[in-house]
Amino acid sequence: MLRFIIRRLLITIPTILVVITLTWGLIKLAPGNFYTNERAIPRQLRQRIKEKYGYDKPWYVQYARTIWPIIRHQDFGISLKYQGQPVSTIIARSLPVSASVGLLAYLLALLVGITVGSIAALKQNSRWDYASMALAMLGISIPNFVLGPLLVLGFSLTLYWLPPARWDGFFSRNTILPVLTLSAIYMAYIARLTRAGMLEVLRSDYIRTARSKGLRERDVVIRHALRAGLMPVVSFTGPALAFLLTGTVVVEKIFALPGLGNYFIQASLNRDEPLIIGIVAFIAITLLLMNLLVDIAYAYLDPRIRY
Amino acid sequence: MNEDHQEIRKPDHSEGDLIHTPPEFAVAEGEIHILPEDDHVAGTSLWKDAWRRLLRNKLAVFGLVVVILTAIISLIGPPIIRNTTGFTYDYIPSDVTLIKSIPPFKSASGAFSWSHPMGTDNSGRDLLARVLLGGRISLMVGIISTIVSLIIGVSYGAVAGYLGGRIDNWMMRLVDVLYSLPYIILVIVLLAVFRSSTAVGQLVLLFIALGSVSWLTMARIVRGQVLSLKNQEFVLAARATGVSTSRIIFRHLVPNTLGPVIVYATLTIPQVMLTEAFLSFLGFGVQPPLASWGSLASEGIQNIGIFPWQLIFPGVTMALTLFSLNFLGDGLRDALDPQMRK
Amino acid sequence: MFKLTFKQTTIGLLLFSLVLASISCAASALKNEEFFGKVEVPRDNVMRYISGDEPESLDPQLSSGQPEGRIFMALYEGLVEYDAKTMDPVPAIAERWDENNDSSEFVFHLRRNARWSNGDSISAKDFVYTFRRGLAPELLARSASLASYIRQAENYNQGAVFVKDPKTNQFLLEKDFGTQATTIPLSQAPLSAAAPEYKPSAAEPTPDKDTEFHQRMHSPERLALPGDEKSRKAILAKNPKLQEAVIGKEFVPVGPEDLGIEAVDDYTLRISLKQSTPFFVGVLANNFFRLVPQKIVERYGRDWTNPAHIVTNGPFKMKSWRPYNELAVERDPMYWDTANVRLDGIRFFPMSDQPTMMNLYRVGEVDAVSNHAIISAWIDEVRYRKDYMAAPEAAVIYIVMNTTKPPMNDVRVRHAFDLALDKDTAMKWRKIVKPLRGITPHGIFAGYPEPKVAEFDAAKARQLMTEAGYPVITNPDGTFSCPSFPIDQVEYTFPTAPSNKITAEFWQSQWKKHLGLTVPLRSMEFKTFVDARSKLDYKGFAFGAWGADYMDPFTFLSLFYTAEHDNNTGWWDKRYVDLLDEANRNPDRAKRFALLAQAEQLLVDAQPIISVETATVNWTKKPYVKGMYPNAGSLFPWKHIYFERDRSKWDYGTPSLAANPTDQSSDSTLGN
Repeated sequence: MLRFIIRRLLITIPTILVVITLTWGLIKLAPGNFYTNERAIPRQLRQRIKEKYGYDKPWYVQYARTIWPIIRHQDFGISLKYQGQPVSTIIARSLPVSASVGLLAYLLALLVGITVGSIAALKQNSRWDYASMALAMLGISIPNFVLGPLLVLGFSLTLYWLPPARWDGFFSRNTILPVLTLSAIYMAYIARLTRAGMLEVLRSDYIRTARSKGLRERDVVIRHALRAGLMPVVSFTGPALAFLLTGTVVVEKIFALPGLGNYFIQASLNRDEPLIIGIVAFIAITLLLMNLLVDIAYAYLDPRIRY
Repeated sequence: MNEDHQEIRKPDHSEGDLIHTPPEFAVAEGEIHILPEDDHVAGTSLWKDAWRRLLRNKLAVFGLVVVILTAIISLIGPPIIRNTTGFTYDYIPSDVTLIKSIPPFKSASGAFSWSHPMGTDNSGRDLLARVLLGGRISLMVGIISTIVSLIIGVSYGAVAGYLGGRIDNWMMRLVDVLYSLPYIILVIVLLAVFRSSTAVGQLVLLFIALGSVSWLTMARIVRGQVLSLKNQEFVLAARATGVSTSRIIFRHLVPNTLGPVIVYATLTIPQVMLTEAFLSFLGFGVQPPLASWGSLASEGIQNIGIFPWQLIFPGVTMALTLFSLNFLGDGLRDALDPQMRK
Repeated sequence: MFKLTFKQTTIGLLLFSLVLASISCAASALKNEEFFGKVEVPRDNVMRYISGDEPESLDPQLSSGQPEGRIFMALYEGLVEYDAKTMDPVPAIAERWDENNDSSEFVFHLRRNARWSNGDSISAKDFVYTFRRGLAPELLARSASLASYIRQAENYNQGAVFVKDPKTNQFLLEKDFGTQATTIPLSQAPLSAAAPEYKPSAAEPTPDKDTEFHQRMHSPERLALPGDEKSRKAILAKNPKLQEAVIGKEFVPVGPEDLGIEAVDDYTLRISLKQSTPFFVGVLANNFFRLVPQKIVERYGRDWTNPAHIVTNGPFKMKSWRPYNELAVERDPMYWDTANVRLDGIRFFPMSDQPTMMNLYRVGEVDAVSNHAIISAWIDEVRYRKDYMAAPEAAVIYIVMNTTKPPMNDVRVRHAFDLALDKDTAMKWRKIVKPLRGITPHGIFAGYPEPKVAEFDAAKARQLMTEAGYPVITNPDGTFSCPSFPIDQVEYTFPTAPSNKITAEFWQSQWKKHLGLTVPLRSMEFKTFVDARSKLDYKGFAFGAWGADYMDPFTFLSLFYTAEHDNNTGWWDKRYVDLLDEANRNPDRAKRFALLAQAEQLLVDAQPIISVETATVNWTKKPYVKGMYPNAGSLFPWKHIYFERDRSKWDYGTPSLAANPTDQSSDSTLGN
């Protein structure tokens, strides 16, 4: 197990470097630059800007100047558009917003999804089962960028209960709608997966053994069935995280949240090279680590799996 | 022996939960006469079996019907509309006072009118025509991108599975690495910096970008299938008779993996459509005057407090189609999986 | 997997549609309200305002955008401030000023009680430091060109060099090499008691103290050459006399001490301009000229705007900054006029998505939105309400034409394309804009005569086109075609945006209808577009827009002062430049306007652009927000704004922009 973990961690580093290089290459190939804006800049000024940021040097020099500080000091440089702000500061500041919304959304999805799915599995073919699975299907089919504005239309523009946008700290009314919007689709997926997993497990031999041993149904479910039945949910978490990321981008755009996703889109449109690279690298590392954690959790849940 | 399904082996956990029927247990088209009673038993093939099972699943049928209807309507709808009310998806009225968003079933002055059953968007374009075009494009993007990912994924997975050993190891490791990349992020950077100036160019970029996102899982599935198939007798027989490797892979193995591949493909289409919608929503996907449901939704969201129909019609249509595709995919999965999960 | 009956699914879907239908009904409930959304006066005295895009920087000399500008006006102050209604310059840190007889030298008398937020007092030296810093070439300040009227400002900013003889320490002079302007401004003429430079005034009977620096300013201008060797060599090659003269001399970079700015004493600032600039004081209200704290900047460098270090001098000081979310400022007790500041604080929300802005406004989460927050499609819904601001804006939209390449280099062709556009119809669609004649916005500058332009005349257009050598043929079905026109040499390029696309398609359909030519359309991402257009890298036509930097027609006319920078057409005419210079030398306002108008008429006749429209401001504010006027530049001096809690005194409709002398709190005595 330990060797597995170390091997995975080691492979992370070259992967990140590949990602960074790919991103850097994409940006360099594109037309336009970060310093073009409404006012046409006099030629001399443009030349001086070019020199200052090193854009007049050949491409391999520019690449080295980008990648070496990253390797050496993990220094991703300073944002081109947001003068004077280091990339790491920007990420550090916007990460809590995205992370808190994303995490809360996923936890909510887990809570609601697992509960609903388990009950649906236990009460199979009942009205509860049908209703919750139909609702789940709806949740999967309605995109978050349709659901979000619908919620805004209802709860904000009509009822005036909740604000339609902006971030006011984690513990404010502003957090409710974004979290709901983001978690809806995961609630749906997790409910379905839980139900499917539980159904399969509930039919299996060892559960029958537990039941015939006279254990209470609640113990049977929680201590035995749930553990194995949650396997599909755990393996879903890996790809779910990737989608959560993109879901966060959409939600941040709809609700104007100052999170990583929003910065990323702005940076891409502004050709803010250091910021794009910094965010992409950060996301890649997070994804890799999360996937590693998921695999470890998987091993913990299913004793048959050995790395 | 049961009439329409057989006992199967439980597969490896890590290969997903799709189950296949090894070919030698499938009853071939034509009959096997062993007992006199068999004369009255009509033989069936795997596919016919699956089809019958699918039809029994009402929800899947509903899904199938809706999908087919949607496809037909988005194909023939626009010409019909053009010939009745005269509107196409990009027709902007030359009278500039008509360039505004009209509610459904109303005319510009507010009186009742049949000309715009879904209303118009901000530029005065008929929303019904645009939703139909959106259907065409979204479905097209979904299907073509899925086909692209199919072609790449199936070939890759089949080759890896068949060749096995070190090659398989490296190929799958590459897949692992690619899997952990923040793909969508790179796609966004790609689309943001390479914005094509023509609408068609942007579409092509989208096909490539979206197709390259979903082939990984397909490759894994196919590889799993091929791994379990490759030691079957029919493969050994083929090898013994000197069939070349590529023919073995593509003519013998791949067709037998079609079951799970079809299921996964049917489930990928809505995923891809959703991704395209999300990209169009962010402004990177389909550009005006073309429309996809996603770009229509993003235009509609802009005006949700004032002109809600601009979001509701494309949104509901998209939800309905995705809904149906998901049901259909589920139904297919059940149908092709003889061990009914009841 | 599970079985839902068909009936249950149908019921589910019906329910869903019911929900949606009720939502739409709710949306239309807005229809009959007087204001757009909820109106409730906030309990505290803190204004919430959507400022626009996220500010790039809090350094007033580095960022030139409007979103930052609105924030700077709360934090920083300069010599003068914008009047809330007319945007004319009113005294701020300068109590009063004197102008010399040809507007080439200004003396500002500062108030003595102006302070920084940390308590330090403000003196003329602060202005000298600020101006020098802003123009320093290393700073790469994008608005540095605004200061180009100041002596040696351009040279210093572009790193030019003087030519000095090391033996005699004498510099080469412009007048010896014919590079001097034809008329010398008074600011450069030798000082003499015989002809007083300034009009005598009661407040200041004798001219200000004379200094060595002043003497230097009033002497012939030094010759300056480009600092970069390649351009220098090119210029020297063209002028053999000059080339010979520089042999044996050394090149001394133009330094900050050469700028025409002087602190005569602690509270007197003298600025020497390189030519007559009667509107100069109005330029000084721009954020570029607002004070930056020398000690803090020198200590912390780029990081001086960090909320932990920043020191400001405006009516408000920094409270907190959460980027992309909120920038909060609070009342500054050290501000010299803090007694007249009504708000206790302002919260700026940076946002660029229009629907989100309007939704926040509608729900009552913000008190006012930034200019152009309202989407054009919503205008019909919003403009009839009492909180909509309707007023003309000092911003114009036009089509630039690349006059350097055929076929657009023929003025007849350009006229033809102009005459073939029915702009009135386009304006009807845009609903709220005003017409544009020439390049200066309509209805903004009182007393400015508008140029005569030809109205829409499709027949004349076709005639001109034929005359130019591209005959327009009438087809049997009544449409036109023009086969000899090299249509592959032209296209209309514009930055990608839905409204731009619709407008572009409208122009295309007009040209097709009246000239038989289908001009291809090309949309580009904004940055790429600006880049291409400024390099004249476009074929035929391109979208153009300009907003005023200060309240004078010259800010628009100066676009064509040189062939480069923001000209974007390649057109240049010496007569035009001469007229502009002559106008600026004229102290009589009416006469000056007449000369400027003459220049504009020349521009109209030469037609390097097709004028399209004058913009109008387009924003909303809650009726209880008073003191905030829809002025032509959408820049608000925050100290005059307050919340009115008495309903009867609310603003029902657009507040009048008529100047009201009792409104202004300070006494203004202008030198003229």
